[in-house]
Amino acid sequence: MHKSARVAPMAALTLMLSLIIGLGACLPGVARAEVCVGDDAGHELCLEAPAQRIVALSPSVTELLFAAGAGERVVGVVNFSDYPAAARSIPQVGGYDRLDLEALLALEPDLVVAWQGGNPREQVERLSRLGLPVYFSDVEDFAGIADTLERFGTLAGTPDVAAAAAASLREDVATLRERYANADPVPVFYQVWEQPLMTINGEHWISRSLALCGGVNLFADASTLAPRIGVESVLARDPEAIITGGMGDPNSTWLEAWRDFPQLTAVQRGNLFFVNPNLVQRAAPRLVEGTRQLCQRLEVARGRR
Amino acid sequence: MADASVHLVSRTRRLRPLAWLALAALLALAIALALGSVGIAPDELVAVLLGGGDALHQTLVLELRLPRALAAFGTGALLALAGALMQILLRNPLADPYVLGLSGGASVAALVAMLAGASMALVSGAAFVGALVSILIVFGLAHGTGSWTPTRLLLTGVVMAAGWGALISFLLAVSPVDQLPGMLYWLMGDMAYAGSPWPVLSVAVISLVVVTPLGRTLNVLARGGLQAAALGVAVRSLEWTLYLLASLLTAVAVTTAGSVGFVGLMVPHMLRLRLGNDQRVILPASLLAGGTLLTLADTLARTLIAPQQLPVGVITALLGVPSFLYLLSRSR
Repeated sequence: MHKSARVAPMAALTLMLSLIIGLGACLPGVARAEVCVGDDAGHELCLEAPAQRIVALSPSVTELLFAAGAGERVVGVVNFSDYPAAARSIPQVGGYDRLDLEALLALEPDLVVAWQGGNPREQVERLSRLGLPVYFSDVEDFAGIADTLERFGTLAGTPDVAAAAAASLREDVATLRERYANADPVPVFYQVWEQPLMTINGEHWISRSLALCGGVNLFADASTLAPRIGVESVLARDPEAIITGGMGDPNSTWLEAWRDFPQLTAVQRGNLFFVNPNLVQRAAPRLVEGTRQLCQRLEVARGRR
Repeated sequence: MADASVHLVSRTRRLRPLAWLALAALLALAIALALGSVGIAPDELVAVLLGGGDALHQTLVLELRLPRALAAFGTGALLALAGALMQILLRNPLADPYVLGLSGGASVAALVAMLAGASMALVSGAAFVGALVSILIVFGLAHGTGSWTPTRLLLTGVVMAAGWGALISFLLAVSPVDQLPGMLYWLMGDMAYAGSPWPVLSVAVISLVVVTPLGRTLNVLARGGLQAAALGVAVRSLEWTLYLLASLLTAVAVTTAGSVGFVGLMVPHMLRLRLGNDQRVILPASLLAGGTLLTLADTLARTLIAPQQLPVGVITALLGVPSFLYLLSRSR
């Protein structure tokens, strides 16, 4: 029932072509060479020329594009795209979970970077059908962040900036990994949300960041990426440290609530830690800084043994 | 001679409100085409509709606004007609297209499909199958072994709906967080999911053709089963026809846009308050008014706080409740 005869895909196609040709003519310095990358959905995406007008459909995609040197070419973002500061003044095309397709098309983008799994599939597929090139992003870890930076650099024609950013990210991660290679394991509970109580399993990048410096995610075996759990199971697994990003407020009432359970090792030793959620809960280059914070917290916990 | 002229007068009297409603429907569609996050001037809109105009405007109007407006119109039309039929069938003013658990069955199947990562077309297909399963279960159980009555049908349906409701809550509770927004939007009813408008529109036209000749008989049935039987109406088969027809209409509507609330309950009531309870008027009027209401509501849903998009279910109730209460307070 969703397969309909499209009346005017030609119109969109003509629009795209004229846009690309037009931009090529306006910017004689830009090479007209075709650029191709593979995306996280397994598609091969080719542009006739590096993208000049990019719409980013998640806050972390926006961060990745800016880090890849393509910030000036981002013409549309979604709600909560608040980093870097320049992103706040870019026009919004709705929330990540509900896009305003009209506003998006009106920006006349030549590349849309979608968040696979986060954006409504039907809406993103409609963009593809209208002839817009769509890159599906689904970043899972540091390797994915670095690779994505390089691909964005290719797509936006800023490969040098992107390669430098990717290299420095890989180096930073390697340094961290080396420094904490022999760190004693610390059993950790990372709290994503309070009502309902939620954490992350071993597949999540936060869990991998913790593992990088000796943190052992007590719920690594959970079956879903962000499982809802009971307080009892936290008590049963007795974490040595409880870490949360809360709702961004360092004086989190979420952490205070755990003091009701003095039998917890984390409470006895005062290992109730806050980290900036924007640093750790977005799969973007700032995750390095977030991981540093997580590692520092674990070091403090080790010092209290 | 005298008889014929009386008949003619009452016929024009019946057709006049329908003509006004048809005009309102066209106006609503025009508004839906004219309004959006991107401003398009009336003359530019006319140019696009005549096959010319700016390429971007063509995409916006012909690829985004027109299919969505038509899908909204068809969905609203089907829901309002199904609601009117259910209210006659159950002889209960609280009846709406979802009262017999149909949307619950559709929702459970749709959520399971979303959970399994199915594409939107598959989710719609699953919703339709879920609605059919729910229809058959209620149909089979209400038949039972003994006698059956609209009351028995109503009770069976309401209990089924409660059961589906529990399953929906369960599915929402165990679903991954990143899938929840999509699921909630579907449950609230959202035209952003609508694909091609042709299925709903063609079903709406077919159902109008099927239902119109039934009007006089339904007028008799609305006064009560016993009276209708005494007047020679085959009540039982008529009631099952109503049930299946209303259910199928609802299934198609839910498949297109999720479970959009309010339209099916309130539109027939609003029309009865204004036009009286002649089914020959109420049924086609429900079709037109339901379509008009949902088209306007969806236009608001996508423009009110643009670029943020609202689910249309929010707007139908916000628009409908005050206008219904106003009509109710003015009626005797």
